[in-house]
Amino acid sequence: MKKRLTVFVAVFMVLALTLSACQPAATEAPAAAAKYALMMSHMTNAFTIEMSDAVKAKAAELGVDLTVNDGGQDPAKQASQVESAVTQGVSCIVIEPASVDGLVPAIEAATKAGIPVVVVNQKISKPEAASSFVGVSNVEGGILEMKTAAEDLGGKGNVAFLLGPMGSDAQIGRTDGYKEVLKEYPDIKVVFEQTANWKTDEALALVENWLQSGTQIDAIVANNDGMAMGALKAVEDAKLSDKIKVYGLDATPDALAAVKDGKLAATISQSTTAQGQKAMETCVALVNGEKVDPEILVEFTLITKDNVGDYLK
Amino acid sequence: MNENLKKFNINSLRELGIFLAFVFILVVLMALSPNAFAKPANLINILKQASINGILATGMMFVIISGGIDLSVGSIVALSGVVAASFAHPGEFPLYVPLILAVGVGAIVGLINGAGVAYGGLPPFIITLGTMTIVRGVALIAANGQPVFNVTKEFEATAGGFVFNNIPNLVIYYVVITLILAFVLTRTVFGRRVYAVGGNEIAAKVSGINVEKIKLAVYSLSGFLAGIAGFLLASRIISGNPTSGQAYELDAIAAVVIGGVSMSGGSGKWYGTVIGALMIAIISNGLDILNVSSHFQLIIKGLIIIVAVLVDIKGKGKQ
Repeated sequence: MKKRLTVFVAVFMVLALTLSACQPAATEAPAAAAKYALMMSHMTNAFTIEMSDAVKAKAAELGVDLTVNDGGQDPAKQASQVESAVTQGVSCIVIEPASVDGLVPAIEAATKAGIPVVVVNQKISKPEAASSFVGVSNVEGGILEMKTAAEDLGGKGNVAFLLGPMGSDAQIGRTDGYKEVLKEYPDIKVVFEQTANWKTDEALALVENWLQSGTQIDAIVANNDGMAMGALKAVEDAKLSDKIKVYGLDATPDALAAVKDGKLAATISQSTTAQGQKAMETCVALVNGEKVDPEILVEFTLITKDNVGDYLK
Repeated sequence: MNENLKKFNINSLRELGIFLAFVFILVVLMALSPNAFAKPANLINILKQASINGILATGMMFVIISGGIDLSVGSIVALSGVVAASFAHPGEFPLYVPLILAVGVGAIVGLINGAGVAYGGLPPFIITLGTMTIVRGVALIAANGQPVFNVTKEFEATAGGFVFNNIPNLVIYYVVITLILAFVLTRTVFGRRVYAVGGNEIAAKVSGINVEKIKLAVYSLSGFLAGIAGFLLASRIISGNPTSGQAYELDAIAAVVIGGVSMSGGSGKWYGTVIGALMIAIISNGLDILNVSSHFQLIIKGLIIIVAVLVDIKGKGKQ
């Protein structure tokens, strides 16, 4: 038995080693001459990769030295990366935080040590701890999405909302945006409003059930594209594509393809590249002693069939 | 003889309890929503929505009857789905390639789980918790954190198609898988041995059953079925989504437990698991149609699980 266990453990460790050897090195070793540091929460999806690429490209354009750190979605790891950057004496830090609360102490310590910190995309719970925030306002994104849907409906009809996990920053902000728009459209009625936790499969089952209820739905407005894609499948399966329009937010590659095919009515881009570029510019401006706004908002971009070509890669 | 008869009566009463609860919920929802819930189109919709969880629950039932648990099935669904969708792009491979790969991936993870439990001596909860986490990571890496889309029409039709114009393919797969495995569980030596291992492992060993082999087989079966479920889910949402299938293991366990299978192993009926899977789908569907907030839905589902197990324990006490 014991021998078997040893063999099992050995095989397992070999497997684990092979797996880790296959993984490309995500972090670049900090060079001694580095002046700027980028801290990413993680580098495992298209969003974070687009963001870090934008910051890197801007740094190259401005001719500054930049090291990139991968936080592995671990606030503690990211906090220690910030601390190391401080002791190494970088000039400025751009951080896409892994946690809204967890990074506050490390960011505060950095700014106290005289190193400016620009927070990008995800706002921290104590914004004044950082030198500046570059990002988008979720409320604005919700407003743009709902306004597009309301105009398509001609200001009249029944809408259903697919929400993100209840209580998350994006869910609250985007949904508040929807409701703000609806104040101007008294003839638009919200008939369903449920969470599908950002997930395509959950949204598909939920919308299938809504469609069985017999309640008329004219448009489905989703907090993200993942859920919009699930809603779209349910609507197509029920052969109601010509009656129900679906709206998403995030501009994920599959949503963009659906917009191009005329299936998804619209999606909204968080302008990720613009956020990254602006964050890097702000960092350089701070080092040069320029005054910057504590909050720099980048505009969302509405993507419909008319302009989707510009976003498809 | 007399005693046997009595035992049979109590057993069937217990099962009757689950069945009565099922009918009760069905009737209540039909009464609350006669124009939507009770429509044939919706009843078919419920069967369709129960299918993927039902397939997972069938595998989970074998594992739980053998005295174990499999937490990795939700992650296997995600990984198999990603693998399936990655090989289902138009003009690349025939449909059987993604199917074989998806099912193969599931079976391999199941085999690792089984080997860990049977030969590594690891508690099922631990090894499957580990593979659940690893496999989710592999799915995210394989898909680069994004849904894999752009699949063939044939791939979409696998789960999305219909038989006789209105019976979804998914339901047919579920029924076929359930019937085959019900036969395996009740009519084969292997099935009886699964019960024996879960009922009393030492006694099973003494009586000459290769306990390790049985364990290896049940986890492999569960992984295999999770691979099928992953393929079907990817076909249903026409994309392989690395974040899909989250908490599916819990729904599968819930279906098995609601159906009266004992968590301590050794007992349980296949049709109980079917009722459990249907019950979960019916409750979600009915409450969605009645526009009950998803927060309340969680409370109702949790209560039903607790009551079902309570009935199970009380029933055993009487036995």
